[in-house]
Amino acid sequence: MSETVSPTLLPEGLRDVLPPDAAIEAALVERLAASFEANGYDRVSPPLVEFENTLLAGMGAATADRIFRMVDPVSQRTLGLRADVTAQIARIASTRLQTEQRPLRLMYAGQVMRVKGRQLRPERQFTQVGFELIGPDSVAADLEAIVIATEGLVSLGIAHITVDMALPPLVPAILATQKFEASHLDDLLLALDHKDVAEIRSLAGPLVDVLTALIEATGPIKNARERLAEIKLPSVAAVQLETLFTVADQVKDQSPDLSLTLDLVENRGLQYHTGVTFFLFAKGSRREIGRGGRYEIDHDEGRTEPATGATLFMDGLLSVSTKQELSVCVYIPFGTDRKTIVDLQAEGYRTKVSLSDGNDIFKEAGRLGCSHVLAEGSVQRVIKEGKAT
Amino acid sequence: MTEARPLLDAVGIRPEPAFDDANARQLQFFTNFDHISIIRVRSFDVATFVAFGAAQLGVAGNDVLSEFDYPEIYAPLDLGIGKCRLCIAQSADLGEDLDLSKLSHVRIATKYPETTSKYFAAQGIQAECVKLNGAMELAPKLGLTPRIVDLVSTGKTLKENGLIEVATIADVSSRLVVNRTALKVRSVEINSWIEKFRSAVDASMA
Repeated sequence: MSETVSPTLLPEGLRDVLPPDAAIEAALVERLAASFEANGYDRVSPPLVEFENTLLAGMGAATADRIFRMVDPVSQRTLGLRADVTAQIARIASTRLQTEQRPLRLMYAGQVMRVKGRQLRPERQFTQVGFELIGPDSVAADLEAIVIATEGLVSLGIAHITVDMALPPLVPAILATQKFEASHLDDLLLALDHKDVAEIRSLAGPLVDVLTALIEATGPIKNARERLAEIKLPSVAAVQLETLFTVADQVKDQSPDLSLTLDLVENRGLQYHTGVTFFLFAKGSRREIGRGGRYEIDHDEGRTEPATGATLFMDGLLSVSTKQELSVCVYIPFGTDRKTIVDLQAEGYRTKVSLSDGNDIFKEAGRLGCSHVLAEGSVQRVIKEGKAT
Repeated sequence: MTEARPLLDAVGIRPEPAFDDANARQLQFFTNFDHISIIRVRSFDVATFVAFGAAQLGVAGNDVLSEFDYPEIYAPLDLGIGKCRLCIAQSADLGEDLDLSKLSHVRIATKYPETTSKYFAAQGIQAECVKLNGAMELAPKLGLTPRIVDLVSTGKTLKENGLIEVATIADVSSRLVVNRTALKVRSVEINSWIEKFRSAVDASMA
């Protein structure tokens, strides 16, 4: 059993990000973060690892099957590596920043790890950039979450954005009106996840009409409204649905370029959403590039606080954002004085300084990936045969 | 395939003539719509192409869908064709009934290891699945496994090989399947195709 492992092999779902992709991703992260900060969201930076019980408290419980665990040699307690940042922000809002004024606007950019990748996202480590709006439970807050998330995407040059709106509490509210056996209910939920109308017809009993109507309402939001006007929903759900439509109308007013769709049986990802929820798609992306929505933060003594927010997945964004050009890199001859170099950098150039004298600087520039050289006191473009233009 | 073909006519998609030529080696076929082409792949691969968004719409049996359980696939329409059932069959010397009461472990030859394991796990039995890609019926005869899980339409092949059908895991039919992202991003167009297929199916059943 001498199986030699190649020294280049990384564990499944992990990768080295090389130039220029690493710089491009970092630039996108910062641009997105800047767009959230411009809207008054303050950056926080929770640790990658915390005690398992605090990481999984409250809404964090939804990530229980996704986190890496290890034992802390110092405290001898179990630690968890975050699979999501929102629950950490909720913890901060309910503890250290409990007495801050509301609405509390916080944003973050950081890496998360998950024990298992999925078919469409084999990556186990990726960067999330997101924001949370804590305090208000209102149409205005739901609207702000969608508008700010999509404006962030637009700031990265992403066009043709689809906002797919959902209402996770709706299906459970409808299912609660009937008594189903647990295994039967599991089958029905699975059928709903796959929008498998044939299965739903055989499993849903008296709820067939309502559930198939929800599935038929999947699609552009304006068609959905008419389709849903005919069906009777549990009263709490009906109120929440009306809120969703109001939010949708206002989103359409503020951002007419967005394409708005509705999917009322959507129920995937982190199961902590309690109200208007949304998934973000862009043309050309095979999977969602972000998601967000309303949830509740647990405080002491059973008190809860409403919040909403959104998270964007940088791994999905890289493929759909406009290609970022890194700034021009200029090759600097040996012995150039430092002030000249610093001045060039101040003008926005990157520089690579020659470390030895006597080389053909045009050739050297080409060899080291610099498109320009500093020659005779000016920045000149390198062309293939080592001549300047 | 022969059952699905009339549905294409009914929704107004006309593939190029090679599509109907059983001997054609071609894999991708143009249609009367510039932006629509049809690919012909094995039934198990339909789910994979659609899950990854390489194809936006597909026709696949729920046997395949449940085996892969891709979260990225929606199956909004039962086309009512390709009907058969996913069954457990055993060699005649094991008797006419599937008696699992004393078993903690079974060995099964199948193309559907996931579905099979889940079915037996739900009854507290560990299934050791021997993955085969065809000719399942030989497995009991040659002592590979005493039982098989396979698709059955008439039951004739089972009988010919001395096997008895003892339980049905699922009734199978072909579904129209849709890639999740395509349904969101091209929602108007995809929904209109689903509607057209729905009307075609309703008409063919009437």
